[in-house]
Amino acid sequence: MIRIGLRDARAHFGRFVMSIIAIALGVSFVVGSFCFREMMSNQVDQMMASNSDADVYVRGNTEDKTADDGMAMSSGSSSSSSSSGTSSSSSASSSSDASKTYNRIDASLADDIAKVDGVRTASITYSVSGIVLVGKDGNAVSTTGTPTVALGLSKGTWRSATLTAGRWAQAKDEVALHTFAAETAGLRVGDTTKLVYPDGATDVKVVGLFSTDASQAGAIIVGLAPGVAKDYFQQETGQINMVRNIGVYGSANDGRPLTAAQQRTLADRINKALPAGSKARAVTGQQVRDDSAAATKKALGFIQPLILIFAIIALFVGSFIIANTFSMIVRESMRGYALLRSVGASPAQVFSTVIVQAIVLGLTGSVCGIGLGWGMVRLIVAGMDRMGMPMSGAVDPSVSDMLVGLVVGVVVTLLGAALPARRAATAPPIQAMNETVNPEKPVWPRGVLGSLMIACGAVSWLFCWRIALAKADDAVAISPWGWLNDWGSSLGTGWPLGVGAGLVVLGVIVLAPALVGPTSVVLGWIPAHVFTVTGRLATRNLARGKRRTANTAAALFVGVAIVSCLGVVASSAKASVAGIVDSGLKSDFSAMSASSGRIPDAAIDAIKKTDGVGSVSQSRMLLGVTYGSGDDKSSAMTFAEQPSLFTEVFAPVTNAGDADRALRDGELVVGVTIAKDNGWKVGDTVTVNGRQVVVDKKATAKAQADYQAQVQQKIAALQAQAQSLLAAGDTAGAQAKAAEAQQAAEDAQHVDPATLVKTKTVETHVKARIGAIIENSVYRSMVLMNDTLAGTIANEYTMFTIMLFINAKSGVNTATLKTRLVDAVKSYYVVTVQDREEFKSTMSTMVDQILIILYALLALSIVIAVFGIVNTLALSVSERTREIGLLRAIGTSRMQVRGMLAIEAAMIAVLGTLLGVVVGTGAGAVIQQVYQSNGLEKLSVPWGQLGVFLLASIVIGVVAALPPARRALKVPVLDAVATD
Amino acid sequence: MGRHSAAAITTSTASTASARNAQQPAEEAVARAIDLTKTYGDKDAQVVALDHVNVEFMRGQMTAIMGPSGSGKSTLMHCMAGLDQPTSGKVIVEGLEVSAMNQRQLTKLRRDQIGFIFQSFNLVPTLSAEENILLPLQIAKRPIDRAWFDKVVDVVGLRSRLTHRPSQLSGGQQQRVACARAIMARPSVIFADEPTGNLDSHSSREVLGFLKNSVREYGQTIVMVTHDPRAASYADRVLVLADGRITQDLRHPTYDEILEVFAGEGDEVEESAR
Repeated sequence: MIRIGLRDARAHFGRFVMSIIAIALGVSFVVGSFCFREMMSNQVDQMMASNSDADVYVRGNTEDKTADDGMAMSSGSSSSSSSSGTSSSSSASSSSDASKTYNRIDASLADDIAKVDGVRTASITYSVSGIVLVGKDGNAVSTTGTPTVALGLSKGTWRSATLTAGRWAQAKDEVALHTFAAETAGLRVGDTTKLVYPDGATDVKVVGLFSTDASQAGAIIVGLAPGVAKDYFQQETGQINMVRNIGVYGSANDGRPLTAAQQRTLADRINKALPAGSKARAVTGQQVRDDSAAATKKALGFIQPLILIFAIIALFVGSFIIANTFSMIVRESMRGYALLRSVGASPAQVFSTVIVQAIVLGLTGSVCGIGLGWGMVRLIVAGMDRMGMPMSGAVDPSVSDMLVGLVVGVVVTLLGAALPARRAATAPPIQAMNETVNPEKPVWPRGVLGSLMIACGAVSWLFCWRIALAKADDAVAISPWGWLNDWGSSLGTGWPLGVGAGLVVLGVIVLAPALVGPTSVVLGWIPAHVFTVTGRLATRNLARGKRRTANTAAALFVGVAIVSCLGVVASSAKASVAGIVDSGLKSDFSAMSASSGRIPDAAIDAIKKTDGVGSVSQSRMLLGVTYGSGDDKSSAMTFAEQPSLFTEVFAPVTNAGDADRALRDGELVVGVTIAKDNGWKVGDTVTVNGRQVVVDKKATAKAQADYQAQVQQKIAALQAQAQSLLAAGDTAGAQAKAAEAQQAAEDAQHVDPATLVKTKTVETHVKARIGAIIENSVYRSMVLMNDTLAGTIANEYTMFTIMLFINAKSGVNTATLKTRLVDAVKSYYVVTVQDREEFKSTMSTMVDQILIILYALLALSIVIAVFGIVNTLALSVSERTREIGLLRAIGTSRMQVRGMLAIEAAMIAVLGTLLGVVVGTGAGAVIQQVYQSNGLEKLSVPWGQLGVFLLASIVIGVVAALPPARRALKVPVLDAVATD
Repeated sequence: MGRHSAAAITTSTASTASARNAQQPAEEAVARAIDLTKTYGDKDAQVVALDHVNVEFMRGQMTAIMGPSGSGKSTLMHCMAGLDQPTSGKVIVEGLEVSAMNQRQLTKLRRDQIGFIFQSFNLVPTLSAEENILLPLQIAKRPIDRAWFDKVVDVVGLRSRLTHRPSQLSGGQQQRVACARAIMARPSVIFADEPTGNLDSHSSREVLGFLKNSVREYGQTIVMVTHDPRAASYADRVLVLADGRITQDLRHPTYDEILEVFAGEGDEVEESAR
């Protein structure tokens, strides 16, 4: 029996090609997704190992709940304050919300730690965000999605970094570059370029190059002088002498990394040595690495399920294609099976001949798929490399990945083949002779079940929408039932949304067969009237195999649903942004920084001085502001604005109070989300806690005195040497020494007094009244105040301009002003000036880029769906051989047969697309409603795009009908008619 | 034996036919086979299905082709109808050379000149009886002659069944629908391949009666392949094939005559097979 099966498999190999492709695609997605995840996690591990490579880290001992999200708001991807302060921030993907933040610790602890036995070095690596490196070509160096990371580096502070040329940077006008950064920028040691610091561009000289053990996934790493980095870091955080952690290298292994056990011993020893009240704790490097790697992987985790969705589509279609293929084979071999049965083969034996073929098919497909998946990941890695994100993670699938792929492929094939095999085995020999098509089971039970599931899904969505509404507005209850309300609000919106989507999608798949009848009548109306005969025949044919038609359409349905849903969300996002700009923004231009969000003061001046500028409104963010007192402190993004904000820049959408008056009167204007979270109302008075960095007069005086003493000492020493040289008769030497002394004295005079200024942080507590609550989506989670009030809370060291709104003088041509503004900020590299349209399109471009990736995936799922349609038609053509023969015998032309099949295929495709568009749009609309308060204010359905999907589906159908039609027409009329 | 005598008979048949042509000028040939040969298989295992057959089918006649299994009767009909390509020789229908036609021409031929009735599976299962009857006209985009349709429907007695699907009709009804469909387009010739092969005797009579009627009343030309002497007895002329040659050409034979001939042929075939 097995031999018969194998022979049959060989004979049917041509038939199997499509099934093999489908299985291979499905398996390749599965294997590819695993490979990709492993590659990413491998890459992350490698980067962690080289970037957070200290043996022990000393960090704060309590988790910081009021971590200021600081500058993350406008900069998008890279955020300084959220990624941990050491070099681990250079990992391209460390995300702010995934890693925990601890309280900052005193930098001076490093000295205490260094004294602990077994510690080789204890150092602090300061990272500065918002640095932009200018390449040889005069443009800012950037790669897609990955940030530029500036670290204060010197010898011994980063074990995994190896200096390959030159030396580390020692001053503000020097940098050492990571080899990848140097390569990308086209710079070499000795070259001079510009580096844009948070406060402006400076000419710098490349003094060294260094490489790291792992590739940095495209991050541009710039090594600054440690002192420079420290200054900027302190400016950024608004805290002096406070750091996130201190990296410790142990000496036990002669400078090589310590083992996990050694790390623990060292950490214990350091913990003992830490002074009481330091609020610090030593943890092993391994633990830090594991934690942040886990956090990063979690942040990347969404990629795999996304790929897996498409794997499931592919496998679903695959199993379906296999079922169809085997149905055809079984149909054609029915007589053979009848013969086998009549000579005494048991049903099980006949069953096994089919199953053997399925196993051969499944194995072949899976092996192809594994290869394909591996190639796919290779391709992605190569693509990322070209886009400037080199990956050094391993991409080869592990044995277990391959096994999973193999098992999935074979199981899916067996599932697909089981039913036809059963039919082959159990059909009575006599039935094999007749071409009786068993009447289909009625589809109404599926219709009922599917409708029920869709209804449940819709209820779930409704529930989700109510939860979102209730969240946004306290006056709205989720439902009339109390218990449900409690449960709902604890559940959140995520679950009901997901469950609802799942139920609706599954429900539609279950319901679809019941829909085929009605829809083929409705959809068939046009073809039945345009092509009278073929249209009618095609329409009726569809309704013959309702399940088959529905399943074929389902493949397309899922893919189209996903894309339509995302299309609606993306389009709504775009429309919402455009809506903000159209309805709220009054200014002609806006300016922001492309890197960290901070706009250098010089750039602001340049903009203000530009001819034709009427008024400039600055948005300044206050660092580390908290509200309330004691344990109830909460943080909120706080901005200092000009009093004219609401009249000249943004029209307020007021919830309570008078926003414009409040701002002018020095009261707080609070976003509705913040107000709700804190339970604030207009008229409440709250304590605003801020920070000011002030000159520490005492310390400064001491530092100056120390410096003076030091200089005096040096001069005195030099003079003494000169004296002694003179005494020894070396006049030239004595003169040189005297000149040196002279030089030292002069240097001391020229020294920048700022370097001697010692600063300290002062906490401020100001009581302020809440004057208005506003609802503009941009301001929802912000607190606004005017500059005067802000001045009492923070000062210039703890406030940064992150956005400018510029109004043209009346009568000035905005286009020419735009050119002038762009020219004015050109030398600051990071500052971009946008007019209203550009402001809108920034968001659109970002959204579009994400969509491109999804469209690529959709294209794949469409390819698979087309296979499904081709295959289904092939099966139905094979079943209808005689019917088609008859049609041709009575004068149907070849074009008419082709047309009939094309109409059938197009209708299947349109059915699937239509269902997908409807469900996807519904899901998108629900998502928009649920996230309305998070900025998705406007629902926008991309009708044009959806229309294109429908038109494309017709084309797809017509194309998919070509191969089956060829097969149908290849059979001579006589053979077709005489098949019996 | 067989071969020589069969050839002789064929020749004689042909000559008698031409003689009759001369006598009755109204009797003209609708379809003709000239030196028609059809072989299957390769050189080592060649099967001759038709062996240099010459035959003419007359307008307004019902001709039955009989013969034992493997005698070539179906092959002859298929070649005549353009369903099969002869190995050599010519087929001419209404003055058109069918054997040299391409697919497009064949389609046109089927639309304009030829009607088919098969043994089984004559109807498109998704269409109602009426739609099946009108199908050839609609495919060819020809106008529907309602009066003719009504007449045909009444003759086949299917008025009450027009909206039924084939699966809701009995075998006899299905074949009558097939007959109505074939006749609807008023083709030059209808080829019927064992039209009563799957029917009981009562249904057979209905179908054959209808076919006969259409020949008599509307001058329809019908070529019918059959096993059944009773069916053949309805024909104006019966051709008997054996081993790819025409062995008998009977005019208006009675049932008994046919039975006699056929029985003899059958014996002969059985003997030669042994």
